[in-house]
Amino acid sequence: MADVTNGTELADREEEEAQTPAAPGGDERLAYRGPIQRLLTRPEIGALIGTGAIWIVFWAVSDVFGTTPGTNSFLDVSTSLGIMAVAVALLMIGGEFDLSSGAMTGATGMLVVLLVKDTGELGGLGLPLFVAIPVTFLFAMGIGWVNGTLVEKTGLPSFIVTLGTFFTLRGAKLGFSKLFTDKVIVEGLDDAPDYEFWSNIFGGVWVRNNHLWENFLGGRDMVFAILAVLGATALILAVLEQSLTRDSELKKASFVTAGIGTAAALLGLIMLTQTDGIGSNWIWSLVMGAGLLVGIIGYARLRFVISRPDKGSLMLGGPVGIRVLIGLGLVAAGVIFGDRLDSDSEYVIGILLTTQGLRAIMFSGLVILGVIMMLIAARKADESPLTRFLITVLTAGVIAAVGFIIQAEAASRKFRAEFFAWIMLAALVLLIAAVIRLIFEQRRHTDQAADKLGRILATVSMILFAAAIALKLLWSTAAENEGAGITTYRVSILYFFLFAIFATWLLMRTKFGSWTFAVGGNKSAARQVGVPAARTKTQLFMMVSGAAWLVGMLIAFRLNSVQANVGDGNEFLYIIAAVVGGNLLTGGYGSAAGAAIGALIMAMSFQGIPFAGWNSDWRWLFVGVILLLAVMVNNYVRGKAEASK
Amino acid sequence: MNNQTLLEIRDISKFYGNIIALRDITTSVQAGAVTCVLGDNGAGKSTFIKILAGAHQQSEGQVFVEGEEVMFNSPREALARGIATVYQDLAVVPLMSVWRNFFLGSEPTKLGFLNVVDREKASSIAKGELAKMGIDIRDTEQPVGTLSGGERQSVAIARAAYFGAKVLILDEPTSALGVKQSGVVLRYIVEARNRGLGVIFITHNPHHAWPVGDRFMILNRGQSLGDFAKEELTKEELTQLMAGGTELADLQHELAQATAGGGEAS
Repeated sequence: MADVTNGTELADREEEEAQTPAAPGGDERLAYRGPIQRLLTRPEIGALIGTGAIWIVFWAVSDVFGTTPGTNSFLDVSTSLGIMAVAVALLMIGGEFDLSSGAMTGATGMLVVLLVKDTGELGGLGLPLFVAIPVTFLFAMGIGWVNGTLVEKTGLPSFIVTLGTFFTLRGAKLGFSKLFTDKVIVEGLDDAPDYEFWSNIFGGVWVRNNHLWENFLGGRDMVFAILAVLGATALILAVLEQSLTRDSELKKASFVTAGIGTAAALLGLIMLTQTDGIGSNWIWSLVMGAGLLVGIIGYARLRFVISRPDKGSLMLGGPVGIRVLIGLGLVAAGVIFGDRLDSDSEYVIGILLTTQGLRAIMFSGLVILGVIMMLIAARKADESPLTRFLITVLTAGVIAAVGFIIQAEAASRKFRAEFFAWIMLAALVLLIAAVIRLIFEQRRHTDQAADKLGRILATVSMILFAAAIALKLLWSTAAENEGAGITTYRVSILYFFLFAIFATWLLMRTKFGSWTFAVGGNKSAARQVGVPAARTKTQLFMMVSGAAWLVGMLIAFRLNSVQANVGDGNEFLYIIAAVVGGNLLTGGYGSAAGAAIGALIMAMSFQGIPFAGWNSDWRWLFVGVILLLAVMVNNYVRGKAEASK
Repeated sequence: MNNQTLLEIRDISKFYGNIIALRDITTSVQAGAVTCVLGDNGAGKSTFIKILAGAHQQSEGQVFVEGEEVMFNSPREALARGIATVYQDLAVVPLMSVWRNFFLGSEPTKLGFLNVVDREKASSIAKGELAKMGIDIRDTEQPVGTLSGGERQSVAIARAAYFGAKVLILDEPTSALGVKQSGVVLRYIVEARNRGLGVIFITHNPHHAWPVGDRFMILNRGQSLGDFAKEELTKEELTQLMAGGTELADLQHELAQATAGGGEAS
């Protein structure tokens, strides 16, 4: 302890340091994390990437999956799973399980039918729905309260306590069903006098084909395009705000550059939508791409600090060069492999794969690996901005080249046009990012104002994108209605989204959310600082049973009858969805939005497998693989998150 | 810096049945001063803390807070009188962010009944309070689990100070830490002292106690070996007392003999 000499000396040293002014608004020890890195440390990021990947896979192999009816079908499956998964995720973050959650959905559904119905010789209660529904809600709250109180008072693991509740409910459902109706199903909810009113609330539908959006505000697709463009603009601005260093003064000369670029990009876009077939019209694509590049650079010059002219020397030796070569090699291998196998052959290799399937998997797998390898190489070349820039541009070029190969080879329009356009967009984004990184100074410190603006812009862009997608899903045009089936959305989808948003807000923004994390993370510590741990946990159990009540009502009003075994066994699906969404089995970490995304992933695979023409028995294998992958990815991501300083 | 006596302990003893855990302990804590309680394992340090923290009650003797005699029946009562204890196993939730930990249980809220946590306020207060302790947290959003042991201690200390503690009891804050980290924690102790808090620093390491302490009380097998102001003894005397004086001398002698004997054999 030679370094600790004397108390007063220590104090003096401390005062000296306190007098040294800190760097304005920042901390030089903290490597500022840009928006991308921060996004990557969110618990739900693995699930989000997984959703994208699974969507693309099923979109590629099935004709129906990407359409409106396909989307409706997986959204519909996701609702009851998702509502429960979100509530279960909150409970899991709070450090507990509820194995009775599945059985509870059926129990509440059944109870409401039994309360309303005039049953056989025992005589039903014959209650009106406006009494029966609140009574059922109170029943659900009661079960949640019992679960929570038993767990808290006895100190037994919730796994065992709720297993008991599960069997109790399961037995009661069967027993009462037999007792009152002599069947394992209770029916006749629609006999209730005020059925119509409640049916609209819990069983309402939105028939897409009846909602035409023709000429209002220039037509649905025009509004969609405007929303999408605004959303993309907000997203670009958000990323720029959060990654670059603000300049103290505006460089007004760049207004012109920014304006010209933006105008060109918009002109290109408008002309593209006016001509038929995105991706086939060269001139306007180029105009749009170049316009975007110029516009973004112009805007960035206006607002942000330009970096020093020293770009470092070219550094291609060692691990960087090797990685680039491996990456190029992998992409080349993928392309050659894809070229060698005949695309028309349906010859089956082994049991599972056709040659075409193998070709697709090898091609996309090798190309993706190769591109990732090159991006890693670019990252490794961080000391030399020039090298980094060149490698990134090369990667963008490779992606674009692959896009052309796909366009030349693919048989169906969706690959030649839509997929090609997305690949080109990806290449363009990468190119722009590389140029911006080279020219402008990356922000290395926290800037409260810029970060806040960035957050707001990012939120706005997400809302705009969501609105654009909702618009396209909810409204139809006369042309679309012709020949297409009828798409009927259930109101349960709306409840699912609202509940997921509410739960996320609750968890991230409120006191209750903080306490939930705390009781799951370290219960005794939470108690020591005055968190009412028992109350918080009981409330979480009641939230799960409340969600089960909602799902029970949705089930009951969908079929007007409830089977005795409805929901039994689903509790594990909820837990799987929550885990896939990045929630930790041991509590204290996770996300409600993640659980909702996890439910979407599971619903997509449940529905996508039959759409793809595969035997739907494979779905459990799929779920198992997804669960294992998700757990491993989440584990890895969390390790990274904890290590990030 | 005023020298008001915040806490005075007069002849307290604690018996568990016929076991004497503490006997006739006397010491005091001044505002803006550090009282070190030194003792080896089993010397009665934990019993001493528990009495002051309100987890146990003394069997005999008196405790005065700002001149007023008190008897704490629960940790809450001790806290209400401004006596906060930071235990060795800290009350932090590792996976939660620094600011959430700092305000856990007493979050500042806005929007009334909605109980929305005022993140910006909480975050900036947490950062400011930690800065006052001389610790510059890189990012209050980072999980507490990513902080070093010393920084975690400092979060707990700063939290106790912010929520109105006058006397801070630190239970072996340096025992699980390396040399550098211990230095970090010692600086926070000095910082808390400079802010006018009374600090009781429990440790078994005289090298940690000496640089920061203004008063030293040495415990051995439940009894006080003395309560000294800093002027009254030297570091060597403190180390001697702490190590049990003669016992250490005997040990040194024995070791020297053993080494000498070993040398001859080879």
